[in-house]
Amino acid sequence: MIIYTNEGNPLGLQLLMLAKFAKQKVQVQLVNLNDAKYKDLLVLPTIELDNGFRLFSAAAIAKYLLGDEEGQQRDEWLEWSSTLLAPALAHYMAVGHRADPNALPVLNTLVKKLNDRLKASPYLAGSQLTAADIAVWSLLAPDGTLKGAQNVEQLRSWYENIKALPEVQQVLSEQPLKELSFNALQQSNRYGGLHHVPLKRASLADAGNLLADAGSTLADTITDEEIAAARAAFIYTKPQEIAEPRTVLPKAGERNVLITSALPYVNNVPHLGNIIGCVLSADIFARYSRNAGYNTLLICGTDEYGTATENKALAENMTPREICDKYFELHNAIYRWFGIGFDYFGRTTTQEQTEIVQEAFKDVYNAGYIIKESVEQLLCQKCDRFLADRFVEGTCPHPGCGYEDARGDQCDKCGKLVNATELLRPRCKVCNSAPVLRSSDQLFLDLPKAEPQLREWVDRAENGWTHNARVITRAWLREGLKPRCITRDLKWGIPVPHENFEKKVFYVWFDAPFGYVSITKRYTKEYLQWWQPAKGTDVELFQFMAKDNVPFHSVVWPSVLLAINKGNTLVSHIMATEYLNYEDGKFSKSRGIGVFGNDAQETGIPADVWRFYLASARPEGQDSSFSWNDLAARNNSELLNNLGNFVNRALVFCEKNFNSTVPEIVLTQDELVLLSLINRELRGYINSLEKAKLRDGIRHLLAISRHGNGYMQTQQPWVLLKGNEEQKKRAATIIGLCANIACLLANLLFPYMPSTARTMFAQLNSKQTPLNAEKPLATILLPAGHKIGKPSPLFTKLEQSYIDELKGKFGGAQETKAPAAQQTNVAELEAAVQAQGEKVRQLKASTKDKAVWQPEVTKLLDLKKQLEAAQKSAASAAPAAVPAPQSGTQSVQQLEAAVQAQGEKVRQLKASTKDKAVWQPEVTKLLDLKKQLETAQKTAASAAPAAAAETASVDAGKIKALEEKIAQQGEKVRTLKASGDASVWKPEVDILLNLKKELTALTGVPAAGAAQGKNKKKK
Amino acid sequence: MCDVATVQKIANCLGVKPGKVQLNEEQVVTRTSAQNKTVAGFATILESLARESKSETAQNSTASREVQAQVYQWIEFAVLYVSPGSKDKHVAKQLLNDFNKLFINKSYLVGHFITLADLAVYYAIYDLVKSLSPLDKENYLNLSRWFDHLQQRPDIHQGEQLLNFTTIYLHNWAQGTHV
Repeated sequence: MIIYTNEGNPLGLQLLMLAKFAKQKVQVQLVNLNDAKYKDLLVLPTIELDNGFRLFSAAAIAKYLLGDEEGQQRDEWLEWSSTLLAPALAHYMAVGHRADPNALPVLNTLVKKLNDRLKASPYLAGSQLTAADIAVWSLLAPDGTLKGAQNVEQLRSWYENIKALPEVQQVLSEQPLKELSFNALQQSNRYGGLHHVPLKRASLADAGNLLADAGSTLADTITDEEIAAARAAFIYTKPQEIAEPRTVLPKAGERNVLITSALPYVNNVPHLGNIIGCVLSADIFARYSRNAGYNTLLICGTDEYGTATENKALAENMTPREICDKYFELHNAIYRWFGIGFDYFGRTTTQEQTEIVQEAFKDVYNAGYIIKESVEQLLCQKCDRFLADRFVEGTCPHPGCGYEDARGDQCDKCGKLVNATELLRPRCKVCNSAPVLRSSDQLFLDLPKAEPQLREWVDRAENGWTHNARVITRAWLREGLKPRCITRDLKWGIPVPHENFEKKVFYVWFDAPFGYVSITKRYTKEYLQWWQPAKGTDVELFQFMAKDNVPFHSVVWPSVLLAINKGNTLVSHIMATEYLNYEDGKFSKSRGIGVFGNDAQETGIPADVWRFYLASARPEGQDSSFSWNDLAARNNSELLNNLGNFVNRALVFCEKNFNSTVPEIVLTQDELVLLSLINRELRGYINSLEKAKLRDGIRHLLAISRHGNGYMQTQQPWVLLKGNEEQKKRAATIIGLCANIACLLANLLFPYMPSTARTMFAQLNSKQTPLNAEKPLATILLPAGHKIGKPSPLFTKLEQSYIDELKGKFGGAQETKAPAAQQTNVAELEAAVQAQGEKVRQLKASTKDKAVWQPEVTKLLDLKKQLEAAQKSAASAAPAAVPAPQSGTQSVQQLEAAVQAQGEKVRQLKASTKDKAVWQPEVTKLLDLKKQLETAQKTAASAAPAAAAETASVDAGKIKALEEKIAQQGEKVRTLKASGDASVWKPEVDILLNLKKELTALTGVPAAGAAQGKNKKKK
Repeated sequence: MCDVATVQKIANCLGVKPGKVQLNEEQVVTRTSAQNKTVAGFATILESLARESKSETAQNSTASREVQAQVYQWIEFAVLYVSPGSKDKHVAKQLLNDFNKLFINKSYLVGHFITLADLAVYYAIYDLVKSLSPLDKENYLNLSRWFDHLQQRPDIHQGEQLLNFTTIYLHNWAQGTHV
């Protein structure tokens, strides 16, 4: 027999055991389903019998191989193990976005069932070991499910009995358990493993906590080598001081990192997208790079020449120079507030820039890469001037695009470059009149001539670029390069040093990129060491930008530098981001949508929190969205509850119990496991940041503090501190280790949140220590006896009310509807959502054409959003609507019934569909109801004695019946009301009121529903 | 797939009284037969139905140990992959492809006769097939053939309206795109 299985598949174990018990010889073959050779296999493991007959279901194989043992119980348990236990385990072991918090309670119920069964009988199907036992055992064994489980004595002894069997021992010697993992099921079929099998939530009462909470499984994966490495590395060496030279210059034999951030155009106020796209990303990377001990120079500045500045000057009645001065200060202030630590933040309107650009032009000209051509240019006769590219708009000439508001240089829709004269139906952006064509001589950069060298260079260099930079560059090269015009008929710019061109200036392509060089020259006279390094000195150039800037950095400027051929530093890493949206829309200054650099200061949210949030929402790989709720959630859950909580707890324990002195650490297995886990994350952090994957870096950093929190939670030093000497020593180790982890975290956090990290260093009474990127292992940073400073909380909570306020303030005009208007609409909205949902379902069923149903879906989503908002405001109004105490008991019962009904609904919905959008609103409703119930119960409890005395005399059964009737009638009325037409629901309302009257007469207490209803309406 | 309804339908197919079919506290389908014997689990119930039935389908399904094992694996496949997977766009597509390939050179899932395996998969994949457009149905031609063949049997469709697999109208409707 052959068993085809994939690496680590836990179900393979079951087949091995079955074969062993059936005394069959097997041979295991590890296969990959993507392999064309195995395309016929549907599910792994699959068994192939000697006659070529194949089976893939473990239960079917068990029945086939061990056919002699008959019995319904065995069959039932076999099916149970493959359809209930295996999916539950797969869900439970899942990691990352597949992780399922609902799996543990389900699994607990299943384990309880097993334990109960084994109380009654020695084996699952009776007194004999059967395939059912093998099936269940082989599912429990991998990943150590039972490790740390409590109250499962019978199950455990059964487990050990089976484990001790010689057949099982033989199998385990061939197939070690530690190689198996439920995560391998992902690769066991093409249907996503067992992930799509919905968990069946038993309606039984909660089984309690039998299994240890997850986490133990992760610790199991630590190898001995990792433990040994963690132990060896965890020592104290006096850190070398980070020496910051006055002027950073590259050095031969060392790593030299030159970082630039795309130069922001001077007369735009940068928004959050611009900030994270270049300057902030560059700063975080530069801080990391300095911390890792590389010679690092971070350069940026404002790009100031061009028509837009000229125009702005005209508008504000200033000279271009004055405009630049004014806006330069604005930029500088914003970046300073965000804590961007440029080595030099310069500008392009300097003498250095003019010299460098003019010299570069002469070099390129002499090398023969400049051609002169007469160009037709658009002249606006009304404004009496040649129109620069940005001042013409029209329809995009590229076939298939046809975007009507394409700019003269680039189309915003298809992203392709456009020549202003090629625009269909051009118009002057200023006066909207149609310009006319006039010819004038211009200089062109001969890109086709540079193309062969460029291609050769791109092939070599592009490995270090982000994916989008590669794709954009490849697209450019595929279309073939064309000569690009580098001069313009303007005044505000660098004069062209060429005969007959004295009155023209250089266009941004030949101007702005040299800003990096000229700004470096402002920083140091030795700028050529960075830009034309001597032989033997390697300079890595990292350029941060948004993706629209890629062609300038990957094609145009490198072509110029290659043409000059003086050994200029060429970009080795283009770090291009995608776009950041604002709450799923675009940032728009004119419409007042979005947060701009200066707005961020006014929110009162610390710059570090902004930095942290923007970095963790950095659009790497795909567009991402800025969302206020997400900002609040990350601040509250990640910074406050995770990181801040851990650091503060560690330091406060140290201060209160050890007199602010770091105690001695005696490592035991638990500490080594923790350190190994931390080392893994530390390696991940270093690897991510080396590649400037800032988002992943944050993930690893937070994972470290999460490990720390988990460790503290399981070790419980506060309990140990009250114990005997031995236990107190343990507590000392724990606190000492946690303080050290806090110090490590401060170092790792520094690139992202420099001032918070400085606060942490002050609280730790420590300094920044260099990171060792070669050997990323945790070391002792605070030796025993080190005195720490005064701990205090690092972060504050962002309240939802404040976030809502900010959301309204920056959301533009359309999002400031009065909440009161929405509130009455909950029922209406629900009906609308339902109707729309029905419509969408029908449409989707009837046609595959997305174009048809997409608009309807959008409508549906909008409605749902509105509904959610309305429900939220209704819920916040609910406390006010809590019934008066005397009606407490009734409303409690009603609410209980409602909660139950809603709970059932939610369960059904969840079972029937994976679509969160469908059941989420129902869940929200359920939670609201539960909240209401809780408040009602509280008020009822206080009112209970009085109510009880009153109701004791009346027939309880009758009341209950009436109450049920009222609840039903209420439900009916509500559904009817939702559907509209008063003539229909009016009579039903009367019936309801009558019923309530009856009840009032019976109990002497007014019915709750009515009171509640009125309250709600008043709100 | 609603387990309870499917068990009842399959019992009807086999000419066996379904008895009391319901979900137990674990949300697992159970059947209590006329003899007051309770069986739990979809596949186990189907096997017990087959033992009670004298129908041709039941006999086909228990012809040999090999057949029995294969029938069982398809029933389990229907439970684990087909019915939950149909709700996911990507998994559903994979399932349709796999079945379509399987039926290239087969008329039934197991052997050369109709078995419980066909019934279980038929009822599990019914909603998915029903949601297919005429063009998709033609793309999954082999699966469509198998499905259409099964649905013609009165014991299988049990009064439900038959799904339309005719593509001749499609030809008139969209000649240019017809493949």
